[in-house]
Amino acid sequence: MKKFLCMMMAVLMVAALAACGGEPANNGGNDTPDATTVKIGGIGPLTGAYANYGLSEKNGAELAVKEINEAGGIAGKQVELSYQDSQGKSDSAVNAYGKLMDWGMEVSLGCVLSGENASVVAAARDDDVLLLTPSGSADKCIEGNDKAFRICFYDSYQGAAAAQYIKDNNMVDTVGILYQSDNDYSVGLYNAFVEKCGELGITIAETQTFTSTTNTDFSTQVNALVGSGVKLVFIPLYAEEASTFLTQARGKFADDVYFFGADGLDGILGKVEQDTSIANNVLMLTPFAADNPAENVQSFVKKYQEAYGATPDQFAADAYDAIYVIKAAVEKAGSTSGAALASALTSLTVEGVTGTMTWTADGNTNKPASAILYYDGVGSLFDSQD
Amino acid sequence: MTHFIQTLISGLSLGSIYALIALGYTMVYGIAKMLNFAHGDIIMIGAYAGIIAVAQMGLPPLIAVLLSILICALLGVLIEFLAYKPLRQAPPLSVLITAIGVSYFLQNLALILFGSQQKAYPTIVQLGQVTLGSVTIDGITILTLLVTALIMVVLSFFINRTRMGKAMRAVSEDKAAAALMGISVNRTISITFAIGSALAAVASIFYGMSYIYIKPTTGAMPGIKAFTAAVFGGIGSVPGAMLGGILLGLIEQLSKTYISTLWADAIVFGVLVLVLVVKPTGLLGKTMNEKV
Amino acid sequence: MKQKKIKFSGDLLTFILVAAVYAVVAYLLYGGSLTRQFSNMIIPISVYIVLAVSLNLVVGLLGELSLGHAGFMSVGLFSGCLLSIALVDVLPMAVRLPLSMVVGGLVAALFGLAVGLPALRLKGDYLAIVTLACGEIIKNIITNLDFTGGALGLNTNPIYSNAKKLLPYAVILVLLTVLVMMNLKRSKQGRAIMAIRDNRIAAESVGIDVTRYKLTVFMLAAFFAGAAGVLYGHFFANVKAATFDYNMSIEILVIVVLGGMGSIPGSIIAAIVLTALPEAMREFADYRMLLYAIVLIIVMLATNNPTMKEFFHRISPAELLRRAKKKKAKSLQKEGA
Repeated sequence: MKKFLCMMMAVLMVAALAACGGEPANNGGNDTPDATTVKIGGIGPLTGAYANYGLSEKNGAELAVKEINEAGGIAGKQVELSYQDSQGKSDSAVNAYGKLMDWGMEVSLGCVLSGENASVVAAARDDDVLLLTPSGSADKCIEGNDKAFRICFYDSYQGAAAAQYIKDNNMVDTVGILYQSDNDYSVGLYNAFVEKCGELGITIAETQTFTSTTNTDFSTQVNALVGSGVKLVFIPLYAEEASTFLTQARGKFADDVYFFGADGLDGILGKVEQDTSIANNVLMLTPFAADNPAENVQSFVKKYQEAYGATPDQFAADAYDAIYVIKAAVEKAGSTSGAALASALTSLTVEGVTGTMTWTADGNTNKPASAILYYDGVGSLFDSQD
Repeated sequence: MTHFIQTLISGLSLGSIYALIALGYTMVYGIAKMLNFAHGDIIMIGAYAGIIAVAQMGLPPLIAVLLSILICALLGVLIEFLAYKPLRQAPPLSVLITAIGVSYFLQNLALILFGSQQKAYPTIVQLGQVTLGSVTIDGITILTLLVTALIMVVLSFFINRTRMGKAMRAVSEDKAAAALMGISVNRTISITFAIGSALAAVASIFYGMSYIYIKPTTGAMPGIKAFTAAVFGGIGSVPGAMLGGILLGLIEQLSKTYISTLWADAIVFGVLVLVLVVKPTGLLGKTMNEKV
Repeated sequence: MKQKKIKFSGDLLTFILVAAVYAVVAYLLYGGSLTRQFSNMIIPISVYIVLAVSLNLVVGLLGELSLGHAGFMSVGLFSGCLLSIALVDVLPMAVRLPLSMVVGGLVAALFGLAVGLPALRLKGDYLAIVTLACGEIIKNIITNLDFTGGALGLNTNPIYSNAKKLLPYAVILVLLTVLVMMNLKRSKQGRAIMAIRDNRIAAESVGIDVTRYKLTVFMLAAFFAGAAGVLYGHFFANVKAATFDYNMSIEILVIVVLGGMGSIPGSIIAAIVLTALPEAMREFADYRMLLYAIVLIIVMLATNNPTMKEFFHRISPAELLRRAKKKKAKSLQKEGA
């Protein structure tokens, strides 16, 4: 029977490899640029545990591409977008990058998650392709390739900015922290926050953690943080984990305790839509807020809601901006060569829904962040004098 | 002291959820002798069924609960019929891999049907808190414990005292001999899956009410924890699953509170390894004599 | 080797075929006629082959279920890659990579020993859960350590290499693993291990040292998993301990079971199929992983269920050919008569 099994598997193998094989490689998508289109590729988890981030970015990018194409494309060329699933895994992401290169990708949106982005950035070292990750925020995830840039803040900047904000606005002297000890975003912000707190003289009274295997029950963490009596809890988390924590923390903390987080918290209202008062007293330092009254933001939010029936989160906004940044860069550079786009980016200023962006040569962006305070399902610009 | 008692209570609350899931796990394992890796995902489907029934169809909670139990039981029987029954004669590991395939299938099906965003489980019953001195206990914790204990008793009674239960034990001991005694092996195993999956639906209700948020991968982690709990207590043993689940919850919360949340995973699994090395068939598992 | 007659055995054929396939792949890769997607898959596939073949040693040969193989891979990966990063300016890659593979393998083997010890007392699902627990403990420890990069992951940018540079090392590692497995299976030791699998008490009664063999198997399997991990770490610029959780161990187990217990060619083919299949199904976008699950279930049913086996057997090309020949022979016979 073994023989039969081997044969069946061999048939499957040949079929699978044939589907991956196909025509010979088109090394570096830019050798033969298509005259009528600009091909942009994106990679992110569309299935698996992180699927919501990838799907948000895919939606944001698709919306931008649709708008650009309706308005006549980039320098007269229509934009084609191919978004590939990575399941959040590095190996799958690198394969997806290969697939996109075979397809003839000219500009890449990098990857959604930092870990996979680092691996794709390394795999793309020898290709003349710009990698503009919307949300890869780990400090080192665009290292080792001078054509790698990002739209979002980098983690250590955000962690330090949060501590600085608390100090500048005289909010509290003592804080508690809850972070996810096996998540790079959370740990990146935490490390920088703690370091900055040391500099600024902010005392950390209580530090609690959890992991992806213990992210459903927060009772011990809530008890410890409540017991420490802090008036502000720093929560460098993604909205999903934060919503679980806040739901369980409800009614346990005093009414004047703030929960302070960064851009990962965006979309929190959507997560707790069954009762938005769960997110009361959540403060978020972010470049993007769906309720920012600015005209471009409101138009983006409206179009996104029409297209996908949901309020866009920071992932969608970052990807939406990334496409427009690519448009601006291609128009400035006059080509899709990665090196030309990289140098164009460093001298470009783009007004996006996540703020006004400029870039340094190491790929990081500068843009202002503001603090949004949520109460009863409404977010408003936080004013510490209130 | 209050702090310690509060920790114990939160451990009981977490442990009773583990125990509830482990009961279904151990039931299927004990009778059908297979690790149903998809058990956690049936919980997830049950939770979505509850959400849709209450939030979208507007059914009263009691009907929604019954509906989700019915859907899960049918799903369990269907999965057994399509994926496991054809493998009755196959080696156990092949069945295990098929179960993993079913688990992937259910997760990805849910992703397509319900989307990747988490959904909130509706409030089925309004329960207050009980305050004893300085200790507060959530109503849901008490209810979960009661229901888990009740299910354990009923399940033990069913397996040990009823005709069907006897048939199940016979099938578990020796399928061929059971068939010779006039027991329909296929029907018995189907019923086992129906009961196991119905228990998964019950678990989904309490999981949903305790932890609110449901997404397509929700079942994976509780599934693996319940598997751990079932093995801890001695796989195949109904009281063992209950004990294993509650102990696992207690150890997890105690180590989080008194040692470190950073090392909670390593501590929980470390205790598990130690216990199993000392007692290789779990806490209440039967010791089988090896024969040549 | 005192064999007088060279027997053209199935295993030898496997070895030659693997070498030949790699030769073709290398020719195409260096000739630049492979697609990028395909070239990027070569190293991960090789790693999965080594992982599956080495896990097959535990599952197929020794007959023990292990759900912690990714943990060994992780230990090897981090120790080997840390060494490689430390030596990056000192040694050329041709020395550094094999050296770190050996060191990573040895560290993993030590952990294999530690996990193998409980295996002496436990079996079946209890052992499975203990190996799973050990894998999760390893993950937790590496995530909480600072020098491994912790949750941020180890930045392996300095030692990153592409498929073209890594292919020779991958080939050597795969061939070496296959060779060791092949020889072990046919050796006295291998037969002793299989005797333990089939009946431990009987094996013990004829004087087989069960403890020694069990520990050896765990260490050997962990060694190759660790070495494969080091190769894996050189191909990705950022590695996190969280990647190597029980889910990855299960993926490796799926390869082993699908390929057939104890079968080396089976493990190799299954490793290729299961890595290539999700890639081949990218066209189906959102339905990709759903289809993958369905294919997995159908393959398991088709290879294990008597009725379905019979059905697939009847429509397989070899069988059709055989029957056509038979028919022809019959008609010839008729003509003759």
